[in-house]
Amino acid sequence: MTGKVIPFRGRPLSTQAGIEAANRVFATPLEERAAKSRSLHLDDPETLLAICGSLRERMNSAPASVKEEADFLYRFIEAPKREIGLFDERDYFLGEAALLAGTACRCMSRREEAWIWFDRAEAGFRHTMNAPAELSRLAYQRLAERFEERQLDLVIELLPSLVESFQRLGMPEDALKCRFLEGLAHVERDEPAAAVKVFNQICGEAEQRGYGRLLAESYVNLIHAHGMIGEAEAAIEASRRAIPVLKDLDDKIALAKTHWGLGILLRESGHLSEAIDSYRKAQEDFEAIGMRADIAALNLVVADLLLEDGRSVEALREISEALPVIAELKMAPEGMAALSLVRESVRRQEVNRQALRELHGYFQELQN
Amino acid sequence: MEKSSPRRPGEVESVFSLTLDVIHSALVTYYRLTEEEARGAEEDLYTWFQRLSRRGGAGQMPARLLRISLLSAACQYGRSFQLWKLGGEQSADRDLNDLLAREPEEVAGDIERRFEEERS
Repeated sequence: MTGKVIPFRGRPLSTQAGIEAANRVFATPLEERAAKSRSLHLDDPETLLAICGSLRERMNSAPASVKEEADFLYRFIEAPKREIGLFDERDYFLGEAALLAGTACRCMSRREEAWIWFDRAEAGFRHTMNAPAELSRLAYQRLAERFEERQLDLVIELLPSLVESFQRLGMPEDALKCRFLEGLAHVERDEPAAAVKVFNQICGEAEQRGYGRLLAESYVNLIHAHGMIGEAEAAIEASRRAIPVLKDLDDKIALAKTHWGLGILLRESGHLSEAIDSYRKAQEDFEAIGMRADIAALNLVVADLLLEDGRSVEALREISEALPVIAELKMAPEGMAALSLVRESVRRQEVNRQALRELHGYFQELQN
Repeated sequence: MEKSSPRRPGEVESVFSLTLDVIHSALVTYYRLTEEEARGAEEDLYTWFQRLSRRGGAGQMPARLLRISLLSAACQYGRSFQLWKLGGEQSADRDLNDLLAREPEEVAGDIERRFEEERS
């Protein structure tokens, strides 16, 4: 006879019990969870499925908290090495937790961290039974991150292949989501009419298929694109359609972008003071969810407006608030060049307006 | 507006029950599991499959692709279990050795093709 102790594993949870266990996990402080993992059923796949589902839902309302939760989950599963569920489930949950953490980092413009989490997600998903589907979801997040880093040509090159993957895998919602990047590329290239066309197509298909979140987010992008052209009526109509759905979904990111888009429209139509109010509302929304990069980008946009209004002292204050955050983000070389010019002009108390515009032009796409 | 409902109620159970005979046959006939071992495997596969269908990337996947994942899991299970029973030794059964030398995904692909042919 050996003295080996066979660990007792409790009965697996039902789906409903998993949801209840996930709620108990969220109610327990992070630092207490590992010690209470058995009573919390933290290693039960039903609990983990419910946690991951909830974090996906909360991504656009609380990315900072999603990052913290997903980071904890990944580390809990990863070390010490825990047996989770059956077959490939441990690898799946590692991949999913890392994808959630990486996506949250992307939302918050924490680029280096996002790339590390995406690599971790790949390491997990590679060993799963439905790897092509999970790796395609990861590929979308990677492309979206590349878009935010302004690698537009690469994004446009790789996008059709990803759309095809989603279509082959029978994932039409994800395939449609890819078209966002196509529309946003038009915005970035200052082709708002082309962007309007793409987002209208997305709206049509999303409405037909019942993809509420995609539909509302398309309307937000339409506000932006119509605003760029100065099509006030269409922009307002898009915001009228988007806001109730976004409030229903508690999509704080898209609601903040709505205010940003309306700010663009007001600016284009010459209502500078109202435009600044709208940008301030967007900043308040971003502040509530920890999106510092977007707040800084809006500081630059507002500074530009203030300069246009002859309020250079206030403009310098706006820029001074934004610079430390922008420097911390470690932007692409073109952004850094503009940043150094703006820094220099702040030092001289005389803003180089072109440099400022280049810098906030770089940031413009962050709101998307 | 119509609500998004990627999966019909009962669809996962239906895919599993339609595939169960094929899974059982693969485990018993190909991988030489006993009837009792195969039944245990099928219970685990059912539990796993229900959860697979609720993963981030599987929520929208059509039935055929879900079935391929299920068959692949079944073959991996059968192969790992038989290899464990053999304890690193070769089997006296040559066909079984040949099968164990193949990737389970490849075997699952063959089974899926036959499944499709029989249904059409």
